[in-house]
Amino acid sequence: MIGAKMRTERLSAWYGTKAAIKEISINFEEHMVTSIIGPSGCGKSTLIRCMNRLHEVVPKARAEGKVLLDGEDVYELDAVSVRRRVGMVFQKANPFPTMSVYDNVAAGLRLNGMRDRKKLDEAVYRSLKQAALWDEVKDSLDAPGVSLSGGQQQRLCIARALAVQPEVLLMDEPCSALDPIATAKIEDLVFDLKKEYTVVIVTHNMQQAARVADYTAFLYLGKLIEYNVTRELFERPAEELTEKYITGRFG
Amino acid sequence: MPEKVRIVPEKAERKALAMGLQALNENMITLADLSELAIRKAVDGLARLDPSVADEVFLLDGEIYALQIEIEKNCIDLIALHAPVARDLRTITTSLKITTDFDRIGRYAKDISEITLKFRGKEPNHLRNLGSIPEMTELAIRLVDKAIRAFVARDAESVRHIQEDDDAVDLLEDRAFQELVDKMKAGTLDVEIGARYILVTRYLERIADHAVNIGQRVVYMVTGERMPRVRAAQRANDPHA
Repeated sequence: MIGAKMRTERLSAWYGTKAAIKEISINFEEHMVTSIIGPSGCGKSTLIRCMNRLHEVVPKARAEGKVLLDGEDVYELDAVSVRRRVGMVFQKANPFPTMSVYDNVAAGLRLNGMRDRKKLDEAVYRSLKQAALWDEVKDSLDAPGVSLSGGQQQRLCIARALAVQPEVLLMDEPCSALDPIATAKIEDLVFDLKKEYTVVIVTHNMQQAARVADYTAFLYLGKLIEYNVTRELFERPAEELTEKYITGRFG
Repeated sequence: MPEKVRIVPEKAERKALAMGLQALNENMITLADLSELAIRKAVDGLARLDPSVADEVFLLDGEIYALQIEIEKNCIDLIALHAPVARDLRTITTSLKITTDFDRIGRYAKDISEITLKFRGKEPNHLRNLGSIPEMTELAIRLVDKAIRAFVARDAESVRHIQEDDDAVDLLEDRAFQELVDKMKAGTLDVEIGARYILVTRYLERIADHAVNIGQRVVYMVTGERMPRVRAAQRANDPHA
């Protein structure tokens, strides 16, 4: 264990008066993959949306508690810089519809003011390579991003997130709309990405959590029920609720 | 036998897995019953030097082997089709492991029956020469029964210290060995016959060891806790080991 790259401390979040997560404290270890599992509505997505301050953009949404990135509370930092350091990939691939493959990847860098074509080329190449997409799109960088297959679009979004060189990558059910082959590619990618990034992945697919994650957190009704090394959590969960959920005995 | 445990969850969302686990459990209980029956018949046949029992034990051994293969297939199917986790996974992997123990118990029962056949007409002093073997037999069978009951009832606590019960079997094996060697040295026991009695004690000791394996695997299956293997001498020095 290298140490926690990110940490939540008694983090609670609300939509209006409805609490979505309640006093969640988790360490996200550096260069590790942490998966967050739990039934729909348990607060998985809210938790990661608090981690890069996306939660607050929803009207009447608010959060309490702390989210620490390298020991600094992200709520005391500039929200835009937090989102640059903590990237997010969403459930549904969402490439910018009017942009080419190249421009999709370069978009974040251009927003940050990068104009040097050579540097942009390098960053686009590096990001597409890291996202395991380069070989498939290197001859069609000018084609519209939306012309790619679903799995390629998701990897394009991962490349776009990686282009600004974040430190943490949050993935919100990144494979839920993908077939098994595209899913396997993303999972292989996650395995490679942890060498350079800290990855947090929300998933409904427990086998996926078991395959890709070093640590797993189980959330239920907005509370953290159990957090442990993935192997332990799936072989001998400490909590009866976890046992019931992962074995499909949830009534 | 204690009441059988119902494996099917009340609100099973994964009915196919639950039904598969139920079938596996029933097969495991049958396997356990057959193994215990084989060993009981084998030692009964030996005590009475009754060769007619041997055929029944050979038949049981064949059935135990066939059922072991079927259970192995059950387990592989469940793993391949349902990706089980937690207690389900532990139940399946434990079943896979302890079928081998039950198979070995069946095999030793067969070995004891083979010795019974060899004694026929050659061992006039059988009852006298048995010495500590009946007591050892009783303990070994009690251990097998205890392990099986724990498996059926999913009762980890009753077998948490099963290794200590096995110490008594080991001591009796040493005692029986000494008795037999003394008789052979004194010339009151034919060496070939004596050697076969020693084999019987070895089979009984191994049966008890397999019962310990089963008991310790039951602890893992129920609690997820792996029991350390501690040698008797070490346990004597540190009762908490």
